[in-house]
Amino acid sequence: MIRNRKHTLAAALVATMTFAGVGMAVSSTDTIKDRQDAMETVGGAMQKLGAIAKGEAPFDAAVVKENAATMEEHLRKASTLFPEGSDTGDVETWAKAEIWTDHADFVMKLKTAEAAAEAMKSVTEESAFRPALGKLGNSCKECHQTYRRPKQR
Amino acid sequence: MTRTARGRSAVAAFALFVVVGVAAFWLLTRPRPLAATALPDHTPDPMGGEVLYHVGSCGSCHKAADGAPGAEEGLPAGSAALPTPVGTFYPGNLTPDPETGIGRWSEIDFVNAMTRGLSPDGAHYFPAFPYTSFAAMPIEDVLDLHAYLMSLPPVRSPTRRPDVPMLGLARRGVGLWNRMALGDRRFEPDPARSASWNRGAYLTNGPGHCGECHTPRNWMMIPDRSRYLAGGPHPAEEGDVPSLRGLLARGRYKDVGDLTLALQYGETFGYDKLSSGGMAAIQMNLAKLPESDVRAISEYLLSLN
Repeated sequence: MIRNRKHTLAAALVATMTFAGVGMAVSSTDTIKDRQDAMETVGGAMQKLGAIAKGEAPFDAAVVKENAATMEEHLRKASTLFPEGSDTGDVETWAKAEIWTDHADFVMKLKTAEAAAEAMKSVTEESAFRPALGKLGNSCKECHQTYRRPKQR
Repeated sequence: MTRTARGRSAVAAFALFVVVGVAAFWLLTRPRPLAATALPDHTPDPMGGEVLYHVGSCGSCHKAADGAPGAEEGLPAGSAALPTPVGTFYPGNLTPDPETGIGRWSEIDFVNAMTRGLSPDGAHYFPAFPYTSFAAMPIEDVLDLHAYLMSLPPVRSPTRRPDVPMLGLARRGVGLWNRMALGDRRFEPDPARSASWNRGAYLTNGPGHCGECHTPRNWMMIPDRSRYLAGGPHPAEEGDVPSLRGLLARGRYKDVGDLTLALQYGETFGYDKLSSGGMAAIQMNLAKLPESDVRAISEYLLSLN
């Protein structure tokens, strides 16, 4: 009986540790995937705004507002997706270690991007579009140049 | 022969070996500057020099540290740290301050720095300063750049010695590295190509020194010219530098106009992957070039398979 209880305890312990381990691995990998999805969405919306600046699409305040809102929403979501311990996972990540060593600055830069996206939402005049886009684009550059590793592809 | 005599001759042989070795090292590493007679008859054009300054991103490595003299004005007063795997460098003050900048340099001093990697007192610079690419520049262009730098406001900002292990020996040893890595790099235009393509090739490979990061290096840190601009590990930080070959085939850019806009505006126009690894500063410097030069660079890059 005592022996059995010992076995049960040991089995429970092993099971807990296994699940905890798997759980952690899955969650860090999921977090990385989630933030990459969020950033892809931000990038996709930015390309729509870029198309207007390039003259490939006409200026349309509704399109600007919609894409700026998408960027703001996903930038806000992304700010929750860089928890401690998510620097590695089972998928490749380009997040640099400085995100966690200079976390306050990283969060500030992400907030700056979010604010720039929010400001873009209220752009209704074409003359205000380019300056707002400059600010928004610079906020992307500012963060990426410090906190993202270059990609081979 | 007694044991002491044999011992003495062994010591003598070893001493000779050391002396010959040191002499060979000394000879093979000696600086080989150009003489002032190499200077052509040329009236420098500071405006042309300004274009070369931006295409070379001179101000990005030679920038002032935050809060240091020249930082607010964006002047290349040096003092900001440049960390590399070899050690930390503090690129020099490029403003014409006579004490701490290039104010007292002669034209030939500047030409030797740019194309031979030599300081005015004849010491080797480390190749973190890309004279290996600048050696492609005609002396006339180097003099234009010099004239532009001399037109900047002087900033007093003392230069710091690099933080490199065994600094003196390492510095001298660069002479040996130069024998393998420097060679004759002068740019030769390809008459079968357009003037714009040739301008782009020159700007990319000479003053632009794109190959310093975009070409992989061997174990001696010598660029592998058989894989020119083919990308590889970042020479100074983590991550990989993308290949600049086959940009069209890989669908990275649609055409010359597309890449031109990407280099002029980067992420501001929604072009991704132009900010990491130091590229954001470079892209913003390229934005200051005349559009014809950015187009020329794009035309050249998109021709690489």
